[in-house]
Amino acid sequence: MPIVVNLDIMLVKRGMKSKELAEIIGITPANMSILKSGKAKAMRFSTLEAICKALDCQPSDILEYVED
Amino acid sequence: MKDNTKLLTYITYGILLGAVSVLLNDMREFDFNQFEKFTNWAKTADKNESWFTSKNAIEWSYYAISAGLFFWRGYLIYGFSYFLSILKEIERGNYFSDKNIIYFKKIGNIFISYTVSVLILRFLLASIGESTFDFFDELKAEFTFLIPAGLAFYILAEIFEKGKQAEEDNELTI
Repeated sequence: MPIVVNLDIMLVKRGMKSKELAEIIGITPANMSILKSGKAKAMRFSTLEAICKALDCQPSDILEYVED
Repeated sequence: MKDNTKLLTYITYGILLGAVSVLLNDMREFDFNQFEKFTNWAKTADKNESWFTSKNAIEWSYYAISAGLFFWRGYLIYGFSYFLSILKEIERGNYFSDKNIIYFKKIGNIFISYTVSVLILRFLLASIGESTFDFFDELKAEFTFLIPAGLAFYILAEIFEKGKQAEEDNELTI
């Protein structure tokens, strides 16, 4: 998939663990793992909004388009 | 939903048991000893006589085809038994499982192959002179409705395949 989720990078920048973020935005650790591994097929605006709020960043910091 | 599934399971069991008992009763009434007569005749038959036109061979063909019809009825009942497997999957909450898709396809296959085979066997019965066969009359018979039913199961299998894909997509939407 040409859309890459750069959640790991943002987590390192903010010094936050993925488990903490999962708790803050209200998703299960399993779903967080799917999101981080790039296996997710889609992301809800509400999830993106919650991530941006928790990490104090823009959607472009999380999602990136990389041509295959 | 689970209560409905249980009720449907009981109804399916009832239909299956009824169909099996009717088939067994028909088989009991059918005289399989007639095959022995044929075996005895085959041992003593005049080898110069044409096999196809001899009365015994024609009789035997009739019995063999009748037995074939029993086999196909049994096969149809086997096809119905897949409904139980589908209901079991639904009871477990696996609505769009791979198993259900395969079962729907199998039921479709069985319904269509049953109807086509019975039509062929009836045609063969007519050709050996034991009954009359009119293709269009046969198509009006109740059992031929199993062809559209079989096709409907193929369509259901396709719908369930799309449903499974949608379910997977939904599960991977975070």
